[in-house]
Amino acid sequence: MNGFNFKAICLSVLLMAGTRKANAQHLKFLIPDNAIVQLAGSIGYFSVGAGYDLFKNKRGILDFNYGYVPASKGGELNIVTAKFAYKVYEIKLKDWGKLYPFNPGFFLSYTFHPELSYRFNRNRYSSDYYRWSEALRPHLSIASEIEFKGEKLIKGLGIKAVSLYTEFNTNDYYLVNYMQNTSSLTLADIFKLGIGLRLKF
Amino acid sequence: MGLWSCNNFEYSPNQVFDRNSYKDINAGNLKRLGDGRKDDTVRFILSGDTQRSRDETIRFTKKVNEMPGIDFVVVAGDITEYGVLQEMEWISRSLSKLKAPYVAVIGNHDLTSRGREAFTHMFGPLNYSFVYGGVKFVCHDTNSREHKFNGEAPNIPWLKAEMQAQEGVSNYIAISHVPPNSADFDPGQIDDYTATFAAVPGFLASLHAHSHKYNLFYPDNSGIPYFITSAMGNEEFLLIEIINHKLSFERIQF
Repeated sequence: MNGFNFKAICLSVLLMAGTRKANAQHLKFLIPDNAIVQLAGSIGYFSVGAGYDLFKNKRGILDFNYGYVPASKGGELNIVTAKFAYKVYEIKLKDWGKLYPFNPGFFLSYTFHPELSYRFNRNRYSSDYYRWSEALRPHLSIASEIEFKGEKLIKGLGIKAVSLYTEFNTNDYYLVNYMQNTSSLTLADIFKLGIGLRLKF
Repeated sequence: MGLWSCNNFEYSPNQVFDRNSYKDINAGNLKRLGDGRKDDTVRFILSGDTQRSRDETIRFTKKVNEMPGIDFVVVAGDITEYGVLQEMEWISRSLSKLKAPYVAVIGNHDLTSRGREAFTHMFGPLNYSFVYGGVKFVCHDTNSREHKFNGEAPNIPWLKAEMQAQEGVSNYIAISHVPPNSADFDPGQIDDYTATFAAVPGFLASLHAHSHKYNLFYPDNSGIPYFITSAMGNEEFLLIEIINHKLSFERIQF
């Protein structure tokens, strides 16, 4: 039931953000610059989100995603994520697009599940017993993105561009394991893959 | 590049299985072990707390593989640090290099997050037993703190039922993660627990890990030894041998 309520809240927030466009011009900065769909990448079997282009050069990425893992895929989990990344290089691809080959980033995911607590119960565990949060996970990411200009693809939908990205991420759990066991674990063991589609308005 | 493999698609660090997860490792390995009916020397390894010690686990498998006549290997809990699927997969990958079959027992760290579900899926039940060479090994969950000291870990009625006299069984050994001399063991259950073992004819020893330090202690006057093996990270384990209903042991460093 929690999962359902949470989904309902997310949906209403998204809908409200959309309808405010007309009557609240001064809140324009709240309107997302892109819509996102992502598969895997440790934040859901699939996730949907809203993204903002940051900075004057628009090379900063700020994404908010809601992800879902069904029980049949090892869930059931509801996950919210806030991501930050920066497009270090921008390569023009003739007149039809751009390539962003190296976008390092950082993100936080919060997983809703009865077995996952933000903090271990202090009545049963002293503060130095388990020192991590089960629900809140910090991640490091490296993504690449290829962007196609919208006019060439679909006319009249207000879509400026469509992009595809792949993103590798790892988290604190995996990094600790890796750092202490560099001969038995490889980077391919600890970096997990996700792929996504971004529509830019 | 290994990174670009479908196996690298992850839905969440908290998913409890994926399409490549091992399943029912304990049951599969016990089938391979057999019942040892004709084996008059039961020789096995007690190790534990593999947690963040994967490099050591690799060296451990090499060391154990060089030792002759090992029937099986027990990893007595805390196979993971964070109770997540990925750690269980990594440790199983290392332990699969063992020539002898191995079994895993649940530890307190393995019960954090969704570890209980991941462990059950990959290794099997938290309480289980098997018979080898006329000895019954009763593996069980003593991680009382993770069960909120609810009186169900250890599950004493289950232990009593498992230790009923049984045909083809002349001795019993209990294996669990948290020893009864630890603050993480339910203080209200200690006496009942040790008395349960003391009442079983042919009970040889209770084996544990958790403290990361070797220890041999006698919590009551029954004369039953309680062993604690050092942690994988300390590069030490116990070799235990049962011949003619007598138990002997050796601390081995690697």
